[in-house]
Amino acid sequence: MLNAIIPLLLDSLASAALIFFAAVGMTLVFSVLRVLNVAHGSLYSIGGYVAASICLFIASRQLSPYLSFAALLFSAVFVAAIFGPLIERGLVRWTYGKSEAVQILITFGLFLVLEDLQRLIFGVQSFYEDTPMRLLGTTSIGGVVYLNYQIFLIGMAVLVVVGLRLLINHTRLGRLITAVVTDREMAQSIGIDTNRIFILAFSLGVFLAALGGALATPTSGIAPGLGADTMVLAFAVAAIGGLGQIEGAAVASLIVGLARVLAIYLAPSLDAVAPYAAMLVVLLIRPYGLFGSVTARRI
Amino acid sequence: MALKGISIVAARCLSSLDLLFRLDRGLPQSNLRLVVDGLVGALAIGVVATTPVAAQEKPSSLGLGIFTFTSGPAAAYGMPGKNAADLMIDEMNAKGGIEGVPVKATYVDEAQGAQGVIAEYRRLAADAQNQVMVAALSSANCLALAPLAEQLEVPTVGWNCDTHQLLMDGKSKYVFRPNGNTVPEFIAYAIYLLDRKPGVKTVAIINPDYAFGHDAAKIFTAALKALKPDVEIVAELYPKLGAPNYQTEISRLATARPDVVFSNLWGADLENFVRQAAPRGIFTSSQVILALGETVLQRVPLPDGVIVGVLGDGWWMSPDAKANPETVKFAEAYKTRFGEYPVFPSIKMANTLIYVKAAYKAAMLKNGGKWPTRAELADAMKDSKVTTLTGTVQTRADNDGVVDQIVGVTVKAPAQQFPVIGDMVRYKGSSLMPQVGQDPLAWIATLKPEFAKSLPKPGSYK
Repeated sequence: MLNAIIPLLLDSLASAALIFFAAVGMTLVFSVLRVLNVAHGSLYSIGGYVAASICLFIASRQLSPYLSFAALLFSAVFVAAIFGPLIERGLVRWTYGKSEAVQILITFGLFLVLEDLQRLIFGVQSFYEDTPMRLLGTTSIGGVVYLNYQIFLIGMAVLVVVGLRLLINHTRLGRLITAVVTDREMAQSIGIDTNRIFILAFSLGVFLAALGGALATPTSGIAPGLGADTMVLAFAVAAIGGLGQIEGAAVASLIVGLARVLAIYLAPSLDAVAPYAAMLVVLLIRPYGLFGSVTARRI
Repeated sequence: MALKGISIVAARCLSSLDLLFRLDRGLPQSNLRLVVDGLVGALAIGVVATTPVAAQEKPSSLGLGIFTFTSGPAAAYGMPGKNAADLMIDEMNAKGGIEGVPVKATYVDEAQGAQGVIAEYRRLAADAQNQVMVAALSSANCLALAPLAEQLEVPTVGWNCDTHQLLMDGKSKYVFRPNGNTVPEFIAYAIYLLDRKPGVKTVAIINPDYAFGHDAAKIFTAALKALKPDVEIVAELYPKLGAPNYQTEISRLATARPDVVFSNLWGADLENFVRQAAPRGIFTSSQVILALGETVLQRVPLPDGVIVGVLGDGWWMSPDAKANPETVKFAEAYKTRFGEYPVFPSIKMANTLIYVKAAYKAAMLKNGGKWPTRAELADAMKDSKVTTLTGTVQTRADNDGVVDQIVGVTVKAPAQQFPVIGDMVRYKGSSLMPQVGQDPLAWIATLKPEFAKSLPKPGSYK
């Protein structure tokens, strides 16, 4: 019995970790900026491409392979530093206060541009760089061999949840973000530079998206089209957890991960629909998601 | 002529309009799009009908519409096909083209989805210079284009198109497949497996979740059950085409502990699966069959002993290929230009272009040296037998191709930095196919263990 449950649990957690990284950035951006960033998936895949490129550079120069772990983090910082301020100031800020349809159309346009940009720069073939995965080796649990990198990803996801909670609740920046989320006009009137908060929050969202892509690359590889898949999955997770709810995204990732794994083990033909079936069930019971709540629209 | 010109311009404008609506790909068709598609189709039919396809003068160039995946995860399979087409067409044109007419290819990316592929086909078909379509890679696109080819009366040569459903009705006039199909391709793996591992009891399957994956599983399972009825299928997994992550599927395979893992994953999916499954011990705990494994030999470090094949006879290092100077020259030119040796999709494409060239030659011989019409060209393909880079392709009465099937296992080769195929067998294509018009699954069910015993054994092809 235990031998049957352990793989289920471990696979669910490992799957949830990857799903969480795909969704948390989108959730954070929505919570602060109230913008549903459709280009989120592209930023995820750009993070993957940049990480793979840096790791390949490290390998080509015969530098220490352990530098590839630093490369995963650095690539996310690099992508966030370049794309975060650029997109927020250049495009997203013009959508504040506009209808959701305008926001979605503009970020969808950006998504199309970024997808083609990736094809232009990185080509259409798949990219692989699995040094971090190989360095960590494998562990046999219940007769099934797991990659230690999968366990590393679970740890990283926990670290990000805890880190984000500490950032929001226990730092000055977090309190400023909370103030802006609670009442943007009031925050502005007491002297908070909301533009700066928006840039920082959006860049943090881009960082999380790029980190997700970078961390996924060593096991999954990266190819054109990944951005679109990631975006759809991220949206499903954000909807289940409640748009803008970080803990909600974590719990939703677990639900989606478990749903996918159960489908693969018990009813493989339902694998593709499992995340969306979970979303449907949750939204039928709680239309605003597990952690979401009804908010009054100000006129 | 003016009317024809106006018709072509109008068709192209409407096709361009159609391109504008690509933003909704993957979403349900809009009514407007249906109208546009319908108009484009109607105009294309009109253009084809009014075009002097009976023109007997040689055109200034011969247009080929070549459909393959040039983007997305499937490009890992589609690009080698395009590379081979580029190389072959350059070589043909350097020698004066086909029957003295230079060849000009227009590539269509199949990653845009069936709607886009259909619109592009109509647009290309509307231009009389495009006499032949080399379409397509994806079985789904081949099935979508086949009725259109018949409707527009455009010779359409499936350069990949594995699904056995394509020509099952036997009524096709303009659709040809100078390749094998899922029936001989996957029966071959069942026979090879039972020769190599006669004691096999349990099998797990992981195939892509669309027609090709499901058809292959059905045929492989049916052949195994017919030849060794006590074989049990302990897991059947169908991950989404293009899925980047297979870790859960790999855990499921590991817990099922099968004697054999069979897969016809392909392109980037196959590379992903191999990279993820190898460190997790799948290749050591089970006998793995990768039906399209040859495509990744130069890219992924596959261990020894994996059963792989080429879905036909397109192995550039097979004894027949090595004995053919044209094939050796093609392989070296390919390596020089693209940095890798040709994989079997490259060979399939090259062989298809040889098939098209041979059809022109035959058609012109038949009509006294005049440039053939589309109908005459299609007629020349019927019942033809063409020598290719790796063997021969015989076109049957149902327009399906008969090619041999090569299967083997991965082995290290001192001369190469990557594994090659060893312990090979070459099955006659005709021995693995039902008669024209016969239901393939019903035919497979009639196979007996004696049938497998009558076929050549692993290692016999050297």
